[in-house]
Amino acid sequence: MTKTQPDPAPAGGEGPDGTHGPGGPGGPDGTGAVSRARRILPVLGSLQAYIGLILIVAIGVITKGDVFLNQTNLTNAVGAFATRGILAVGVTLVILAAGIDLSVGSLMGFASMSAAIMVAHHDMPVWLIVPACMLIGAGFGLANGIGTAWLKIQSFVMTLAMMSIARGLDRKMSDNESVGTLVAGPDGELTENSESFQKLGTPDNNVLEGILGPDGIYFPVLAFLMVCVVFHLLLSRTTFGRHIYAVGGNPTAARLSGINVTFVIIAVFTLSGMLAGFAGPIDAAYSVSADPQAGYTYELDAIAAAVIGGASLAGGKGTIIGTFVGALILTLLDNVLGLNAVDDNWQLVIKGSIVVLAVVLQRPDLLQSIKNGIDRLRGGRSRTGPGRTPDKAQVPGPASAPASKETPR
Amino acid sequence: MSSSTRTLRRALTAATAVLAATALAAGCASKTEEGGGGGEKGAGDEFVIGYSQANNAEPYRAQLNKQLEHYVKDYPNLKLLPIADAQQDNAQQVSQIQQFVQQKVDILIVSPNEPAPVTPAVEQACAAGIPVIILDRTVDTDCYTSFIGGDNFEIGKKAGEAVVKELPDGGNVAELRGLLSTEPQKQRHDGFMEAIGENPGIKVVEEREGKWLQPEGTKIMQQWLARGTDIDLVYAHNDPMAIGAQQAAKAAGKDEIKFIGIDGLAIPDGGIRAVQQERMAYTYLYPTGAEEAAKTAADIAAGEKVEKKQTLGTVEITEANAEDVYAKYDMSGKVD
Repeated sequence: MTKTQPDPAPAGGEGPDGTHGPGGPGGPDGTGAVSRARRILPVLGSLQAYIGLILIVAIGVITKGDVFLNQTNLTNAVGAFATRGILAVGVTLVILAAGIDLSVGSLMGFASMSAAIMVAHHDMPVWLIVPACMLIGAGFGLANGIGTAWLKIQSFVMTLAMMSIARGLDRKMSDNESVGTLVAGPDGELTENSESFQKLGTPDNNVLEGILGPDGIYFPVLAFLMVCVVFHLLLSRTTFGRHIYAVGGNPTAARLSGINVTFVIIAVFTLSGMLAGFAGPIDAAYSVSADPQAGYTYELDAIAAAVIGGASLAGGKGTIIGTFVGALILTLLDNVLGLNAVDDNWQLVIKGSIVVLAVVLQRPDLLQSIKNGIDRLRGGRSRTGPGRTPDKAQVPGPASAPASKETPR
Repeated sequence: MSSSTRTLRRALTAATAVLAATALAAGCASKTEEGGGGGEKGAGDEFVIGYSQANNAEPYRAQLNKQLEHYVKDYPNLKLLPIADAQQDNAQQVSQIQQFVQQKVDILIVSPNEPAPVTPAVEQACAAGIPVIILDRTVDTDCYTSFIGGDNFEIGKKAGEAVVKELPDGGNVAELRGLLSTEPQKQRHDGFMEAIGENPGIKVVEEREGKWLQPEGTKIMQQWLARGTDIDLVYAHNDPMAIGAQQAAKAAGKDEIKFIGIDGLAIPDGGIRAVQQERMAYTYLYPTGAEEAAKTAADIAAGEKVEKKQTLGTVEITEANAEDVYAKYDMSGKVD
C-alpha cells in the first residue's frame, strides 16, 4: 500500500501532494537588500502555503490575544465549521477526480433531518444513527457517481439535480418543520438516546473524557480531524488515492494505463456522499435541532475551503492538508472578525478580500515572481538567475513527493 | 440513411409537440371546469381558492399552510386548491399566479416573495376580476381586496417593553438580528430600539446579523462570550437564533442570561415549547393570518364587504400562557 512506484499515468505532471514547490533559493550572488531577500525567501517558502492561515492567526493574536488564542475559542471556531470541513474533504476527492459535487449541503441536510427523526421519533441509539446516516449519504453519492460515470451526465448537472432532489426529500420528510433532538421522556428528563446524541456536537458535550485529557475533546473537532487524517492517508498512501489523481489529471491516459476510471469516479462521489451523511448527525446535534433548510449553501463553503487550500477545479491537483488549511482560514477569519465586533456588512467585504489575498500569497510561484522582480530591478541579470536549483516540494502534502516540474505561469 | 434518420427525428419531435400541447390543453380544460363554472355565483356555490405561497420551506410558512387548510374547512363552500410553492423564486411565483388566473379561480391568496416582482401578476389577477387577498408581505399596488399581515414594529416594541420590565435598573442587551436586508428585521429592530429608549440604563452592548439561523445564533453567542462582554439579556429576531444562543450560553455556564425570541410556532421544536422549558423567557407570536384569511375569503364569497387592511396583533408568550397558546395553534391532528 505504500508508494513505491511512480504514478501509473502522467496525471497532469503532479505528484499526489499536488502542490508545486516554491521558488528555490537563489544563487549566492548579489549583495545588500537582494542577498538579504534571497536568504529570507527560502525560509518564507517553507511556510508559504500556510501564509494565509498564519496571517489570520497573527491578526487574531494581535487584536485579541488570549481571547482569540485559547482552547475554548478555537474549539468553538473549528466546531462551528466542522461539518462544512467534513463536506470539504469529500468535495476535495471529487474535485481531484476533475468533478464537482454541489449536492453535499443538501445531502448533509437530509442526513441531519434523518438523524433528528431517528432520535426524536424512533428513539434510536447514536451508534446506530451515525452509520445509518453515512449509509444514506453514500446511497445518494452512489447515485451521483452512477449518473456521472455511466450516464455521462456532467457532474455539475448531476449533483445540481441531486441537490434539488435531496432538499425536496428532506422537506417532504420533515413536512417543513424543524425537528428537535432534545427529547424528554415520560419522566420529563432527557431520554438516554437523546442524551448520548448530544455527544455528537451539542455545545458543552465532549467525548473521550479522561482519555484525551481530563475534559476530553469536542466531537465535531475530533471528527473533522479524524476525517482529514483518514482521507489524507487514503490519498497519499494507497493505490486508490493515486488513481484519483491520475483520473483527474488525464482520464484518457489513466484508462490506457489500466485504471478503472468508472470505478474511481463512482467511488469518489460515494465517499463524498458518505461524508455528507456523517456530517448530518453532527449538524443536528450542534443545533439541537434539524432544520429543513440545514446545510443550505454549505457546498459553496466546502468548495471554497478546497480551492483556497490549493485544489484545482481542473482536477488532479490538491491535498487534504490544503483543504484543512482552507477550512481553518475560513472559520478563523470569521472568528477573528466576530471577536473584533466588525460591522456585518464590512465583514462580507473583508472576508472576500482576505480570501483573495490569502490565495495570492499562497501561490507556489509567488516567491519566484518576486525574485524575478528583484532581479529585474537590479538590471542586467538574466531572468532565471544562475545557480538556481530545481523546485522542491516543501509544502503541504507527503514529503516523499517527487520533485515537480517547473510551475506553469 | 442520414436523411431518413433526420425525417424520423423530425416526425418524432412533431409528435412530441402535439402530445405536449394536447396534454396542456386537457390539463387547463379540466382545471377550468373544476374552478370557473362561469357566471355570477351565489352564496351556496363552491368557491375555489388558489394560494401562492412564497416558500414552503420556512417553518413559519409551513405552519401557515397547515392553518389555512384547517381554517378553510370551517367554511363548507370554500375549496382550497393544492398550495403552490414558489420556493423563494419571484419568477415562479408570477407564473403560478398567472396559472391560477388562467384556471379562473374564484379567490386568489398571495404571500408575496418580494413586493415589486409579484405586483404585475397581482394586477393581472385583479384585472381579470378575481378578488385577491395579500397575506403577510405587501405588494406595490392598491389593486387587491384585502391585505392581512402582522406588525413587526409592534412586535419589536412589545419585546422592548418586556426588556424594560425585566431590567428596571438598566442592563446590557445583545441583539441577534435577522438578515439585514429584510423588512421584518428592520422593523423588529426599530420597534425594539424605540421601546428600550424608555430606560437609558439599558444598553445594546452587542449586535450581529444572525441571518435567522440557529447555528449562527450559537456561533455568535460563543464569540460574544469569548469577548468577555457582560450580557444580561439576548433579544433575537426569531426563536431559532434565540434557542441557538441559549445553547451556547448554557454550555458556557451562563445560566443567568435571559433570552427573548419572536415567532412562537406551535410545533415541538418551536419557541412556545422553548418558553415552557425555560430556555427562553419570552417569545412573541408572529400571527400567520390564516384564520383571518379564511374568514375574509368566506366574506368575499358571501358578497360581504371586507376590510382593505387588516393588521394583526401579537401575543406575548410566557410560561403562564404557553400551554394555552400552543393548544390553540397546534395543527397536528387537525389537518392531514
